[in-house]
Amino acid sequence: MSTAAFVILGFLLFCLGLFGVLARRNFIVVLLSIELIFAGAGINFIAFSSLWKNLTGQVFTIFLIGVAAGEAAIGLGLLIALYRLKHTANVDEARELKG
Amino acid sequence: MTIGWILLSLMIALCALGVVLARSPISSAISLLIGFVGVAILYLALKAEFVAAVQILVYAGGILVLYLFGIMLTDNEALRLTRQTHLQAWPVFVLILVLFLAVGHKLYHSDYTPQQPDSLLMVTDQSQVQALQDRLAQEAAAARHATNPQRVARVLYGDYLYPFEAASVLLLVAVLGAVFLAKKEV
Repeated sequence: MSTAAFVILGFLLFCLGLFGVLARRNFIVVLLSIELIFAGAGINFIAFSSLWKNLTGQVFTIFLIGVAAGEAAIGLGLLIALYRLKHTANVDEARELKG
Repeated sequence: MTIGWILLSLMIALCALGVVLARSPISSAISLLIGFVGVAILYLALKAEFVAAVQILVYAGGILVLYLFGIMLTDNEALRLTRQTHLQAWPVFVLILVLFLAVGHKLYHSDYTPQQPDSLLMVTDQSQVQALQDRLAQEAAAARHATNPQRVARVLYGDYLYPFEAASVLLLVAVLGAVFLAKKEV
């Protein structure tokens, strides 16, 4: 499969993740959609690493997975804090800053 | 071979669609798990064996279990019965479709052929070029017998040692932040 196909697959994952972040109400699904965006970036890194025969892309994918793990920890901390405050994981309920 | 690539891409795309469209968050999480297995197979096929193993271990073994705990802790009846999308879902869908078609068209018609490494273009002196080519050939010969994790480790702990240490600090800060956010009195 050509590099263009991998890049388009990664971009498709990015678009679906963006849609999930913007359109879904459940905070957990928003976090899962952010993981989709990370996966799209990872596919790009690995595809270009394979094309250029350069291992830097693989190393950056490992960093990416580390960043995703940190994001998951912070996201779940926020989820617990939101649930304690509002007793729901619905992001529409958190509207204190709306004015 | 091509059929395999198409099936794999289709599986990843369908799982991603399932994550975004499923009603129940459990279905989303399981769909994401299958999608990540597909992505790991893709990494394996592109000869990134170590990254594929890390992907399975960290995502499927760690992060997804964390999310399942989160779903378990925050599940309630009211959220399950309400609408699952915001009111702006359709405009957002149209905008993202336009974005995907425009950028996807551009990506499809781009040129992806690799160029010469910059290090070879920068030097002008012929002896320097010779020395650099010798060094590259030596590294290639040394790498030919190494396995993928050995080669990744050489780059990760050689060129990227300081970013690696910075990543460990990032994870420490993330853990402290998560504990601070989730404790009783904030």
